[in-house]
Amino acid sequence: MGYSGARGGLAAILAAEDLVRSARDRGPQPWAGTEQILARFRLAVDRVMGEAGLYHEATAADAFRQAEGDPLEAAHLVRAHRSTLPRIAVSEPVDPDEMTVLRRIVPAHRTPDGPQLLGRTSDYTGRRLERPDGPPDPPAGGLPANGSATPARTAAQRHPRRFSALLRQADLLVDHPADRDDEPFDIIRRPARPGAPRSAVLASMARAETGALVGLWYRSVLGPDGHIHEVTLGEVRHGRLPLRVRHPHTDAPVTIGEFRVTETEAIEDLDEADEDRTRFDLGYGLCLGHNERKAIAMANLDIACRRFGRDGPLEQLLLLTTDGLDSGGFLEHLKLPHYVTFRSMVERKQAMREQREVAAQPTEPLGRDCR
Amino acid sequence: MSSPSTSSISSAAATVGELLAGSARPAEDRGILDEGAKREIRRAALSAVCVPGYQVPFGSREMPVARGWGSGGLQVTLAVVGAADTVKVIDQGDDDGVNATNLRRLITGSVGCAETTDSREASVVQTRHRVPEQPLAADDVLVLQVPVPEPLRGVQKSVAECARMHAEADYSSIWVSLYEDLVHNGVISRSTGYPVLVDGRYVMATTPIPRWDVPRLHRSTHLSLFGAGREKRIYAVPPYTDVVPLTFDDVPFEVEGARGARCARCGSVDTFLVEHGSARFGCSDTEWCDRVRAGDADAEAHRAAAPLALLPEAARRAGRQRPPVETRPLPPPRRTGCADGTDWTLKVDRIGKVHGPGGAAAVPGTGPEHRTAVSPVTGAVVAAWDIGFDVAPGEALGLIGESGSGKSTVLRCLVGEEAATTGTVRLAAVDRGRTDVLSLTPAQRRRLRIDVLGFVHQDPAAGLTLNVTAGGNIAERLTAAGWRSYRDIRARAAALLDRVEVPLVRMDDPVATFSGGMRQRVQIAKALATDPAVLLLDEPTTGLDASVAAGVLDLLRGLLAERDAAAVVVSHDFGVIEALTDRSLVMQLGRVVEQGLTDQLFRDPHHPYTQRLVAAARR
Repeated sequence: MGYSGARGGLAAILAAEDLVRSARDRGPQPWAGTEQILARFRLAVDRVMGEAGLYHEATAADAFRQAEGDPLEAAHLVRAHRSTLPRIAVSEPVDPDEMTVLRRIVPAHRTPDGPQLLGRTSDYTGRRLERPDGPPDPPAGGLPANGSATPARTAAQRHPRRFSALLRQADLLVDHPADRDDEPFDIIRRPARPGAPRSAVLASMARAETGALVGLWYRSVLGPDGHIHEVTLGEVRHGRLPLRVRHPHTDAPVTIGEFRVTETEAIEDLDEADEDRTRFDLGYGLCLGHNERKAIAMANLDIACRRFGRDGPLEQLLLLTTDGLDSGGFLEHLKLPHYVTFRSMVERKQAMREQREVAAQPTEPLGRDCR
Repeated sequence: MSSPSTSSISSAAATVGELLAGSARPAEDRGILDEGAKREIRRAALSAVCVPGYQVPFGSREMPVARGWGSGGLQVTLAVVGAADTVKVIDQGDDDGVNATNLRRLITGSVGCAETTDSREASVVQTRHRVPEQPLAADDVLVLQVPVPEPLRGVQKSVAECARMHAEADYSSIWVSLYEDLVHNGVISRSTGYPVLVDGRYVMATTPIPRWDVPRLHRSTHLSLFGAGREKRIYAVPPYTDVVPLTFDDVPFEVEGARGARCARCGSVDTFLVEHGSARFGCSDTEWCDRVRAGDADAEAHRAAAPLALLPEAARRAGRQRPPVETRPLPPPRRTGCADGTDWTLKVDRIGKVHGPGGAAAVPGTGPEHRTAVSPVTGAVVAAWDIGFDVAPGEALGLIGESGSGKSTVLRCLVGEEAATTGTVRLAAVDRGRTDVLSLTPAQRRRLRIDVLGFVHQDPAAGLTLNVTAGGNIAERLTAAGWRSYRDIRARAAALLDRVEVPLVRMDDPVATFSGGMRQRVQIAKALATDPAVLLLDEPTTGLDASVAAGVLDLLRGLLAERDAAAVVVSHDFGVIEALTDRSLVMQLGRVVEQGLTDQLFRDPHHPYTQRLVAAARR
């Protein structure tokens, strides 16, 4: 009862909600404040912002707490929240060259223009589990004024020239005719289907579930199909970008804040008969927050989709199967009652059995549907 | 659907607060969906009403429920419902299911409308998997939650291809799936979400409502709106619209039934019943069940409207027939004859195909006299140039040449698999030969391949669906041409298979289990299914063993004489051309180097290249 039985369904739902709330919010441990979550769970918050497609750290942190740390559930909360909000402005186009880098590496070159800036990362730290009893002691001699042990970087070092600029200078990159400067495809307002422009694929990937993108990429490496190349990374960056909107009165662009993104450029070898084999091409990835796995998978899948997406299944896979809310939601719907559809299936099984006058193996119908 | 521009909002106000106040956003809706989104959804719903059964894309928003838990239905309901409405929400026909309870709470909480469990009081009913037993009134709106809006997904995985099939009303693959189902199972085994043809135009998925509810959408007095949130589609069945389940004319559509079943609670035998305890049944519609028990239901009217005439009746079924033991001979074809004032069925004029840049400018410097097909000017490959011929009814024309001579290119341009660079193609069957077929749209050209142009590929796999039975492959062509009688389709398929000497005991086996020669015979039968006026054969015996090839060649020779089609046969083998054709064109490096009556060419070839081909055939 309560699942689909007599009235009392609502009481059962409220009781289930209460169990979550009381265990989560009124347990014996101190309350995890928004600031606390932002400071301790930066990467989780960034992942929620990226998969939700909404950049607001405090909102994502609150969702993360409410979702008990489930990033997909948190992204759902943020997206459903955004559905309640009117769109009051559209930002000016963002120029990634304006990025103030916090981290930047160029795997394709030993000494690129500008620094290889490791920044805040545990990439090079041994993955050893630490089991401290409490907060670590402050370092001897105290922290330097800027909170970091390394000297401050110059403005030039924070805005390094792209490695791809060097490639372009050496005439090693395919020169794509400049795309028409169309409005980007707005995947929030229009459903993107195969045949959609590149901006729709990029937007879908930027908002995709991280694991879905990485899985799709890896499927080509060790799965039974796919021919996505392993790219060489020209640029992996995490940094801050200014956000500008036009002032409603003066119509002048006004910077209203900053947001962090991860950006990747992937260098692709071209080896198809109809491609320029003397040059490389570039795949591009950019997502909200610090999420390098996602940005790298995105850049690699971007160039793969431009090369093979329309001829094969990749474009449909990227546009329609990588959204975590879509795939997760459809999976979760299996938990709903299905006894009407199941009864109908049972009836057909019995009808088929009645028709078994002729000895032949019944086979699977050609078309199978989801219910 | 265009995004609302910002300028219209931003020019009017100064602060964010004023901006928010200026954008219509009633306080009670802040919980779920903003007004702009509702407007978009209403526009999509109106489009859906205008084009019944067509899936209208819309900018589906994320809802406080998971995608799959009614997010599409919820958006539609929120867009159409007002504070004065009364809403009923059911799941599986039950007002008290968790999903129904949860959605009702969200709707009434955010809109402030009244709720009810009585269908007679409701102005909007949101439902998952059922249509209420109580007939809805003329002004009512039924909102159905849709998990999978695409009825063709089971037969076609590419969404781009599904869109094309809907646009062209190309539904033969779903008909084939019904045919195959009947062949294998004796009944159509589809359970819920049964595909229907709406308003005679679009095939539509009936969400997963049971078959019991499908006839109840036909010419219903209420409006049905279908919301698929995850897949971002809305579609509609307006009041008094035809909703016809897809089935063959002689195969009854069956609703769910169980012998002697009645509701264990209210005793009804004319409602949709689900299992209720062990070995018992109960109404899935709990409201109706309660009202029958309380004596508050118009049982007579309900019984009159219930689809009792569609309950399964084994005697009426087409049954799982054995392949027919005897067949009637294939009837002679009906012919449109020649184009006005001419003696041809097919006329090809100056066809040319250039792969690569330059078009006609690439042609100079190519051809047999230059010993290359590669343009010295642009580097393009001139696959065929200046090819022309016409073919009369009952005549067979050969295109012979080595591999790479351009003969298959001509055939592919003719049928539409490649775009010709230049030239014209006329068919007596198209506008009496007055229209250039190459000027038709791709959809019109695909249509021609159903009943005007038969094509036999070198590789049977290119012309057949291997996991479909021999009969089903022929049914694909027949259903595309509009055949809707299961028995007629089977009789025609049997006659064709018999004619091409495929044993009829194999008729219901997938062609994947056939040998190469047998597959080629099935492909020939399929190409002949609709008696096309023009038959195009591309190396029809090349992939076969010599002895098998000889048999297929004999068959084709007989068929060409008998079916009265205008045939074009492409081969590298003068033996094949000699056996099948009356006249021939010899092609080399994209050009015709010699032409004439086939037997003369074979006896007395003039061009050295023709002499080589003839010598090769005589070896």
